[in-house]
Parts: sequence; structure tokens; C-alpha cells
Amino acid sequence: MKESIEQIRNIGISAHIDSGKTTLTERILFYTDRIHAIHDVKGKDGVGATMDHMELERERGITITSAATHVTWKTHQVNIIDTPGHVDFTIEVERALRVLDGAVLVLCSVAGVQSQSITVDRQMRRYRVPRIAFVNKCDRSGANPEKVAQQLRDKLGHNPVLLQLPIGLEAKFEGVVDLIEMKALRFEGDSGENVVQSEIPAEMREAAERRRAELIDTASMYSDELMEAALEDRATPTLIREALRRGTLSLDITPVLIGSAYKNKAVQPLLDAVCAYLPSPQDVPIEAVGLDDDEPISLAADPALPSVAYAFKLDDGRYGQLTFVRVYQGELNKGDTVIQSRTGRKIKIGRLVQMHADKMEDIEAARCGDIVGLFGVDCRTGDTFIGENAPRLAMTSMHVPDPVISLSVKPADNAAFTKMSKALQRFSKEDPTFRVHVDDESAETIISGMGELHLEVYVERMRREYGAEVETGAPQVAYREAITCRAEFDYVHKKQTGGSGQYARVVGYIEPAGEEEFEFVNEVKGGAIPTEFIGACERGFRSSLAKGSLIGFPVVGIRVLIHDGNSHAVDSSDMAFAAASRAAFREAYRRAGPQILEPVMKVSVEGPSEFQGAIYRSIMQRRGTVLGSTEDGGFARIDADVPLSEMFGYATDLRSATQGKAEFTMEFAKYAPVPRDVSETLHAEHKGAAAVEEG
Amino acid sequence: MNDVMKTLRRSPRRLLERSGHPGPGPGSLALVLARAGTGKTAFLTGIGLDALLSGQRVLHVSVEANVDRVRDWYDDLLSELIRAEGSAVNGAEIQAKIEKERHIHSFLGGSFSAEKLDETARTLAERLDFRPQVIVIDRLDRRHNSHDEVEALRDLAERLGAELWVSARVYREMPDAKEGHLPPPSEQIEDLVDLAFKLESEGDRVRLHVLKDHGEILDKNLDVLLDPTTLLLVPEADIASR
Repeated sequence: MKESIEQIRNIGISAHIDSGKTTLTERILFYTDRIHAIHDVKGKDGVGATMDHMELERERGITITSAATHVTWKTHQVNIIDTPGHVDFTIEVERALRVLDGAVLVLCSVAGVQSQSITVDRQMRRYRVPRIAFVNKCDRSGANPEKVAQQLRDKLGHNPVLLQLPIGLEAKFEGVVDLIEMKALRFEGDSGENVVQSEIPAEMREAAERRRAELIDTASMYSDELMEAALEDRATPTLIREALRRGTLSLDITPVLIGSAYKNKAVQPLLDAVCAYLPSPQDVPIEAVGLDDDEPISLAADPALPSVAYAFKLDDGRYGQLTFVRVYQGELNKGDTVIQSRTGRKIKIGRLVQMHADKMEDIEAARCGDIVGLFGVDCRTGDTFIGENAPRLAMTSMHVPDPVISLSVKPADNAAFTKMSKALQRFSKEDPTFRVHVDDESAETIISGMGELHLEVYVERMRREYGAEVETGAPQVAYREAITCRAEFDYVHKKQTGGSGQYARVVGYIEPAGEEEFEFVNEVKGGAIPTEFIGACERGFRSSLAKGSLIGFPVVGIRVLIHDGNSHAVDSSDMAFAAASRAAFREAYRRAGPQILEPVMKVSVEGPSEFQGAIYRSIMQRRGTVLGSTEDGGFARIDADVPLSEMFGYATDLRSATQGKAEFTMEFAKYAPVPRDVSETLHAEHKGAAAVEEG
Repeated sequence: MNDVMKTLRRSPRRLLERSGHPGPGPGSLALVLARAGTGKTAFLTGIGLDALLSGQRVLHVSVEANVDRVRDWYDDLLSELIRAEGSAVNGAEIQAKIEKERHIHSFLGGSFSAEKLDETARTLAERLDFRPQVIVIDRLDRRHNSHDEVEALRDLAERLGAELWVSARVYREMPDAKEGHLPPPSEQIEDLVDLAFKLESEGDRVRLHVLKDHGEILDKNLDVLLDPTTLLLVPEADIASR
């Protein structure tokens, strides 16, 4: 914690499966003295890294997949943040990416840029995360780092700058030539811990000179000083690094390093590059949202300013809930009181910890830029904590959209039921767009969320992380019903079946109320309906909204006005007025031009330009309205509004239409009326289902 | 929609019609010049929205802004129009209608060229049956201001029978226009331009000049001021009260 904020790096390591992320992470932990021995990550057959993180962790007792691991490299503090394993549109992914300042993109020197790298990289570009690339596995047969650098350009639209040349390749891979220092680097000792510098091999000299000139040429675009120095042939390593840093931070270039983590080669220069080229917390603009006006507020990584921290991940640990936070502004000290901006609750910071690979260290304070764990704080992910003197703000918008899709989940047995309950409780805490309820009629557990994939991910996590085997029902779109015009009602509820009778009359109208969910207006004059029954009328109307008569979905955007009625001294009651209101609504509703509304998603599909036609077709087949398209570096993106009900199975169809090269994201956009034919089909289905129930 | 159309009488496109300088017409090119930050984008968005509200199909091409931002510009201008009119029109309904008639295409990362636009127009026609009547290009940068490129754009407009509106930047360091010519760097493409305008900041308003009118080079001050946020004409009453 002694180092200055400029020496903090918060990075993610992202990689396609089998690019060697686990091995690389483990080597980084070793070289930064966080673990004391290297074990090969090998499968039983002895080839390749086939163990997954979880097994590895269990075996070694290290926590490389913890939300954040803190290491020290030379004079820098590096927090390695776990980048999400799944790539989709959930709030959770957004939150994890949000706390990264920079990233290392690990690529296999044989397989090159693969689909998952494309997806992850695009997400990082969206969040403006500067990246450096590490071309791993240069010891493998078929290794070709130059080809991978070219793919970075062609497939990802990067401007890659090779900072090293390999000394030998495949089985003969010995080390690298550092093109900035113009030295050969070899890695000796049992675990490659001794970095030995020597002269560049004579046969590589000419190539190295040429590549260095190219490198300086590119870098000088970002520094006038370097450009002048280069013209006079006096470019120094410091000038080159400064220029490369500037280009990397502006996302204009991607420094490319090469090595083989498995063979313990060239991991240390990668760590140097992380410190040299990736941003410190002070290099990245930080924006929050004011809670009073929704306007953006700029924050600064300055310890003297009021504290602002952001909870991005919750972990269930031995000691209860561990909340990972990133401090964006000011400081957090043990014993401080902060305010949880969502609820306005005051929270005392009891225990503050820093996570290392093999242990947890209690600390007294954390500053802006730090990533630390808090114990004993009851919160959700996405919560913002602010100092008592800070303006009311949140790091992300507080608006949480209503779920648009639901699914029933049924545990396989009793044991699964307990596990499922535990999992669902945790997920709904982590993700405010994920909800759980038990349906009154069917007694089934229903999970709701923002899309098919969103729910699929949670069902999968229930299985994988909690061992809960569940069966899922068919996804159900959350339709709504609404009226389009005003309709009057004048209803008399009268029953005389022995004993005391029931009598109530309500007069008024219903009309569309736009944004309002439900509005009840009482304009009854002269006690035509006694005041004590008005509440019962409102309840009667309100209860009618739960299920519309078209297809049984909630009715929204309605105003009910009553202005007249009648009562009977003996036979009128709350029950009678509630019944009259329900019946009046039912009758008026039919005449008020009711229509079915469906959730429409804003869908963005991205893929190589040559698949543009296929993407358009896939959208048009789904009742989509194309809003716009974008071309950028060989990629095309198409934005469209598509009804959610048409999006089931889209992932599979898109994959087959584009050879797996396009991906899509979607989020809720609005509710819109369904076309007549769809409305008729839904209505018929509803009638059919109702008949079956009655029959 | 009719109420909003009334306000659109304040759109520069209508003013041109009224003042005897009709728009470029199908297959022709109108050029809008201005220094950075003077309102080229707002002006072109106004042209696009005017066309949409008149029932025309619009392809809006942007070389800098992404699709969402361009949509926001249209939405903001439309709500401004509705607010100015103070009428009870259903904004959401108009928005939904114009979204069906408008396609926004962004060429990011320097990917714009006449050839690329040609490809895009073909794809839109084939896949979406979308054939624009008005094409708005915001904006040509120095690289695409060449005679060949602009000629290719004009050919495309002719082939599609679409009216083409293009903006370009006037640079501070460039010399002034020679008499009888458009200011550099647009001078080299002036034979391809049917109509040319220049926007100039004047206090808190923007002034509109006609530089070229259906073949004839002139520099006529149209004596109209535009509101700098909406680029709508400032009503005469407001000007008088200043």
C-alpha cells in the first residue's frame, strides 16, 4: 500500500479455452513470489493444459479464480481480476469488466485468434479497456507469432506492435529478442526465474534492426518527441515506452509479447509490459451517475476526495459474505462509516482484507485504485458505497428493468431442492434483474430475467456450482395487456339469494393512462357511493388488472374514474362494491380496444462483414425492425428491435448462419403492440388453454 | 403528424423551397460547409427529419457517430419540434413510423468510401427492400473530398434517384475562397455540387448562406438565422424582438 496510485494496475487476463490462461496465471503468481513452486498443469496423458481452474485450486489450495488476486511486481501493485467465464449481456459481466483498467489478451501461437477471443475483445473495446497481447505456447509445433499478430489486425481490428522476436520456435524456442532494449533474453534456472540478458544472435541482428525501426515508426505517431529523436537516430527505450504507453492507453495500438508460460519463458517481460503500458487508475476517466438528477459526475483517483467504492462481486467464504470492492475515489479505512447509496443505509467497515493467491491479509486502509474485500457488509453486487461527505451518486444506473421472460424450475429431488433454494437466493442477491417467485396457481418456482440466455446461465450455474439438478419448463414471454380508448361503465351488482342481499352500482369510465401503471380517480359527488366503499371500489378495479381478459396477462397503463353510483342501506357492503367494480371493469375492458403488448428487445448482432446479408435475413425472419448498421474494421454490426418471443433459439440459428462467427447481445427496449395475426394466435391459445383447464 | 409538419415550415429545407431555391432534387448533390462545431450534424439531422416527416425514406450515413447517437439526435430534434408546437401529438407513434423509413449506417474507424456506401446501399435494397429517397452523409473528411470519390457518390445518388446531402468541414488554416469558387478544399468538387450552403456562427445564432444555387456560384446571405441547438429557423418575431 506504500506505492503511489500510478503504480497500481488492475488487470484482467482473458483467453480462449486452452490458450494457457491457467498456466500463465500460475507462473505470474510464482514469479511475484505468491506461490513457491510450479506444478505442471498436465492431464493424465501428459499433454497440454487440461485441468480446469477448480480442480487446480482444490489441489493446490490457491485461489487463482478468486474475484481479485493481489501481487507485487518490482515497484508495482497488480490486481488480477477474474474475467467472467461466460459472455453474455448480464449486469454481472458489465460489473466485472467495469473494474478493469487494462487487460492481457492471451492467444495461442498455433490456434491464433479464436471466436471467444473475438467476443471478449469486442466487449473490452466496448468498455474501452486498453489491452496488450501475449502470444503463448511458442514452444508448440506450428507456432507462428507473426501470423497471430496479423490476425489481431485482421480479425480484431487492432493495430498490433510486436515488441519481441522469438529466438527459435517450436521445440527450439529459447527466448526472445527485446526490440526496445535490443537485447536477447533467455530464462534460466529450474523454473525460468533467472532472466539472462545477452547480445542479439548475429543471424537475427538485421531482422531485429528492421523490426525495431518499424516499431519506432508506429510508436512515434503518439509522441512528437520520439519522432524528432528518431529522425536524429537517438530514440531511447524510455521515449519508445512512453510513446507506446500513450498509444495503448488511447486504444490505438496493442503491444504484442511472445513466450511460453508452460516452458517458463518470457513471462517476466510480460509483467514488465503490464506495468509499462497498461493504465494506472489515474489514467482512466471515472464516471458516476448523480442520484438526484441522473446526470454524469466525474470522479478522480485522488485519496483526498470523498470516498466512493463499488461492489463488483460477492463470494461466499468460510467467514461469511466477502464483498469485493473497487475504491474509485478517496479512501476506505477500517472503522469508517460509509453510506450504501441504493438504500441510504449507513454501514461500518469492520474488516478489510486483501486477497493473495494463498492467503488473505487483513489491512487497515485502502485507497482509490485498490481492490479489496469487505467482510460483514450486507449488500448486492453493483452497490456503491459513498463517504458521508460525498454527493449522492452511484457507479452504475440504479434503474433495474423488470424481467421480460420467465421459466419454471423443478428440483429433481429433496436434496436438489435445498441446493436450488440456496443458489436462487444467492443469484437474486448478485443480480437485481434475476427474480424468483412461487406461482400461486401451479405452486411452481418461477425464475425471471432479461432473456433466454440470461436464465440459461443461471440454470447452468445452479448445476455446476451448487450441484442442484433441476428441470426447466418452456420459456414464457411476459406479455401485457393495455387499452387504446376510453369506455364508459354503469354497472349494478344485485343479488338476492336468501339472507341479506348484495347491492352496489358504479358509474364512470376507464381510459389509457400512458406511462402510469394504474391510476384511480374518485369524482363521486354527494355521497352517491358512501366514502367507506370507495376503497373497496379501488381494490375491485385493481384486482382486475392482474389478469386481462385477452390472454390473462397483467393490464397496464390504465386510469379508472368513477363519478356516480348507488348504494343500499342494508345490502351494500365492501364485498358488493368490489364485485361491482370487477364486473364493471370486465365489461368496459372489452369495449376499450384492448390489445396485447409484447416485450421488444434491442438486439445488436456483430460479425465479420461478409455475413451481413445472413444477419439481415436472420433479423427479418423474426419480425425485426432494423434500426441501423455499422462497419468497423472488417466487422459489421446491425442494430434492430426484435420481439422477445421471436428470439428463442436465435443463438443457435445465428451460429449456423454465420459459421459461428457472429454474436449477439440483447436488452429490453420497450413494450409494443403485437401485430394482428400474432394477437389472434395468442388469443386462440389462451382460449384453448382456459377450455382445457375448465374441462 | 400534421401539427409537427407545421413547425417544419421552420425547417431550412422548406425555407429554400419558399425562397425560390428548391432542394437539390433526385440525383443531385447539396453540400453543407461549416467550421467544426457550427452545427453541420444538427443541420443534416434536420434535413433528414424533414424528409422523413414528408414521407420520404432516408439513409443517414455517419462517419463518426455510432447508430445510437444518431438516433438520439433524431429523437431529440423530434421532441423539440413537438415541444415547440405544444401540441398533443403522439411522439412515440411518430417515432415508430419514422424508424421504419429511416436507416442509419455508421462507418467507423475510417471505413467510409463511396465504394463501401455503394455496397451498403445494395445490401439494404436486396435484404431489407430499403431504397432511400434522401441520403445524408455526415461528413466527408479530407480523404474523401477528392473529385473521384464525390463523383462516385453522385453517381450512386443518380442511380438510386435519391437526393444527396453531404457536409464537409471548413478549415481555419485554409485560404479564403477565390472569387466565383467554393472555399477550399471543396473548390475541387464544385462542378459536382448543385447546391452549396455555409453555416456561420453569429452571436448565439447560426447564419445560413447560399454559396451555389443550381449551377450558379454566388454568396448570398439568405438573411435567416437558425437556432443553434435545433438548427430550425428562428421565427421572424423572435428576430425582430432582438
